[in-house]
Amino acid sequence: MSRVVLKDLTKRYAGGNLAVDRLNLEVGDGEFVCLVGPSGCGKTTALRMIAGLEDISSGQVLIGEKVVNLLPPRDRDIALVFQSYALYPHMSVYDNMAFGLQLRKTPKPQIETAVRQAARILDLERFLDRKPGQLSGGQRQRVALGRAIVREPAAFLMDEPLSNLDAKLRVQTRAEIARLHQRLKATMIYVTHDQVEAMTMADRIAVISEGVLQQVGTPKDLYEKPDNRFVAGFIGSPSMNFVELKVEADRGSRLVGDGAQVVLDDAQRARLRDLGLTTATVGFRPEHLRVGELEGPGLRLDAKIDVVEFLGNDELIHAVSEGKDVVAIVEADARLTVGDSVVLSADPRHVYLFNPQTDLSLSAG
Amino acid sequence: MSAVQAIASPVTSSGRRLAIRLRPGRMVLNVVLALIAIFWMVPTISLLVISLRPSSSYGVSGWWTVFTDPAQLTLQNYKALFSTGFATGGILDSVITTALITVPATLLVTAISSLAAYSLVFGRWRGRTFVFLLIVGLLVVPVQVALIPVAQLYDAFFNLTGLHVYATLPGVVIFHVAFGLPFGIFLMRNFYTGIPKDLLEAGRIDGAGEWTLFRRVVLPLGLPAAASLAIFQFIWVWNDLLVGLVFLGGNAHHTLTIYLFSFTRTLSNDYWVIATGGIISILVPLAIFFAFQRYFVRGVLAGAVK
Repeated sequence: MSRVVLKDLTKRYAGGNLAVDRLNLEVGDGEFVCLVGPSGCGKTTALRMIAGLEDISSGQVLIGEKVVNLLPPRDRDIALVFQSYALYPHMSVYDNMAFGLQLRKTPKPQIETAVRQAARILDLERFLDRKPGQLSGGQRQRVALGRAIVREPAAFLMDEPLSNLDAKLRVQTRAEIARLHQRLKATMIYVTHDQVEAMTMADRIAVISEGVLQQVGTPKDLYEKPDNRFVAGFIGSPSMNFVELKVEADRGSRLVGDGAQVVLDDAQRARLRDLGLTTATVGFRPEHLRVGELEGPGLRLDAKIDVVEFLGNDELIHAVSEGKDVVAIVEADARLTVGDSVVLSADPRHVYLFNPQTDLSLSAG
Repeated sequence: MSAVQAIASPVTSSGRRLAIRLRPGRMVLNVVLALIAIFWMVPTISLLVISLRPSSSYGVSGWWTVFTDPAQLTLQNYKALFSTGFATGGILDSVITTALITVPATLLVTAISSLAAYSLVFGRWRGRTFVFLLIVGLLVVPVQVALIPVAQLYDAFFNLTGLHVYATLPGVVIFHVAFGLPFGIFLMRNFYTGIPKDLLEAGRIDGAGEWTLFRRVVLPLGLPAAASLAIFQFIWVWNDLLVGLVFLGGNAHHTLTIYLFSFTRTLSNDYWVIATGGIISILVPLAIFFAFQRYFVRGVLAGAVK
C-alpha cells in the first residue's frame, strides 16, 4: 500500500473543454478518500488519470513516491473497479480474478491461493466455475472487487461501483466495502455522485464541481463547516435551504426579509461590513429547523406549508418562505397540515452565511 | 381448437406445450413453411438424384422416376469420376486446387479483418473513422472492373522482380483476400464496436498489452462474427468461377468450378459429370457450415457489463 498524491492535475480536452482544473489532493497510506460531485464534474476523469486510462494534460500523479504520468496502467500498481464491473464474459469467475496474476507470470499455486482467499472473503467460493453471465448483479460486483483484491495493488480505485445495484443491495455492499477497507488497510480512492456513500464510507471526502476541487475534509468537517455554498448544498440530505436576506439598513445587526430574520453576532456583523455586503445568502439544514419561536438570536422564518411527506418517525415539510421552497424535518406528532402558517426557527450555530457574490462561507474560521 | 385442448388438458406442462404447437394457425404455417423448404430444395435434390442414376438414363427418363423405381440408384458416376485419381485436371486434383486457394484465402481474410477491426475500434490513432469509411466505400467496387488492372499489376510485378504471380495459386489467393477484406473488416468492426471499452481498460489495468488484449479478450468475444465471416468467405471463394478462370489461366491445375464449367461447354452428354461434381463441390462448404455453426451463439457478451 502507498499514498497517492495529485499535484495540479489537469485535463483539457481537444475542444478546449476543461474537465479537471488543477486538482491537488493527497491520499494517505491506507486512507479511504471519496471524490464526490454531480455527474460530469470531472471526478471520473480524475480517477481515470490516476489509473492511466486518460492522458494527463498537465500536473502530476504520484503513486508511492513515484511520478507515474507516463507509465501505462499496468505499471502503476493500481486496481480499478468499474461501474459496469467489466468482467470478461468468456472467462470463469476464477479466471476473471486470476487473469491479472496470470499476465504477471505469478506461479500457479500462488495464484490459486490468492484467488481462493479473495473468494472466501467475498463469499464467492461456490461460484468460481461459473461465468459472469450466470451471476446476479451483486455477485458480479463482488467478482469485480475480487479481481482487484487478488492483485494486492498499491491503491484501489473505484468508479461508482454501487450505482448499478438496487437500493437494498447497495446498502449491503457499501458495508462490505467498508469492512474490506478495514480488513485490507488499503489506500482507496472512491468516486461517487452519491453523497450518502461518501459520508458513510470515507475517511475524507473531496467535493468536486465543474472540474474544480471545492473542499476536502472529513465527513463531519464538510457537514459542519462547508467552505462554500456548493459544498453546503451538496453534502447532507435533504439539501440545505438557502434564502437571500438584506442587511438591515439602520444598524446592520440583523438580516431581514419579508417574513424572515437572522440576528447577527458581532463577528458576522463585522464580516459583512468589511466586505461591504448589503445582502447575504443564509443557509440552514432541514434537520435543524424547529417549529415555533426561538429564544435569543438565530433564524426565524414565517412559512406557509405546501406539502407534508410522512416518513414514519418524522415528517418532511415543504413550506414557502421568502418566495422559496424551504424543507424542514419535524417530528410526526407536530400535526401540521397543508395551508398552515407556521414559524420556523434555527439555532445560531446551525445558520450558515454565504457571500452572495462569491458563494464563499462568511462564517469565521 | 377446443378438441385439441380437451385432449391435451389432463397432461402436465409438456402436454400444454403440445397443445400450443397443435393450434390450427400454427399447423397451417408449419405446412406452408415445409412446402417452401421442399420447393427450395428441389433443384439440389434433383442434382443429387441425377448423380446417383446411371449416366445413360439421362434423357431417357426423368429423375423423379427414382421415387417409383429406387433400384436404378447407383454409385457408378462417382466411381467413374474418381477413377482418374489425382491426375492433373481430374476432379480430385480440382478439389485439392480449390482447397489450396480457399483455405488460405479464408484464413487470411478472417485474421487480417480481425486485426484491422481491432485497430479501427480500439486503437487510438487519428483518422480511424475516415479509413473505415474508405474501406466501406471499397465494398461497392465490383470484382469485374478490377480483373484487368490487377492482371496488369501482376504483370508489372513480374517485370520488376521476375516473380510469377499471374497464373499461380498465390495470385488467385491474393485477389480473393483483397476483395474479401472490405466486407470482412466491415463485419468485424461492427461486431467489435459492441464489445464494451471497459473490458479492454480492465485488461490494460490487469496488465495486458495490445496483443494479449486481442488474443485473450477481443478474439474470443468476436468468435461468432469471425466464424460467420469465415463461412461466408469460404463459400464465396469455393464457389468462385470468374477469378479462378481469369487468374489461373494457363495453369494446368483447375478449380472445381472451372472443371465443372469445362463440361457445360461440350456438346456431349456429360450432365452426369456436372451433377456428380456439383454434389462433391457442395459437400465441402456444407461440412464447413455445420462444423462452425455452433459458434453462432447469441449472447456471448452476457454478464460482461450490467
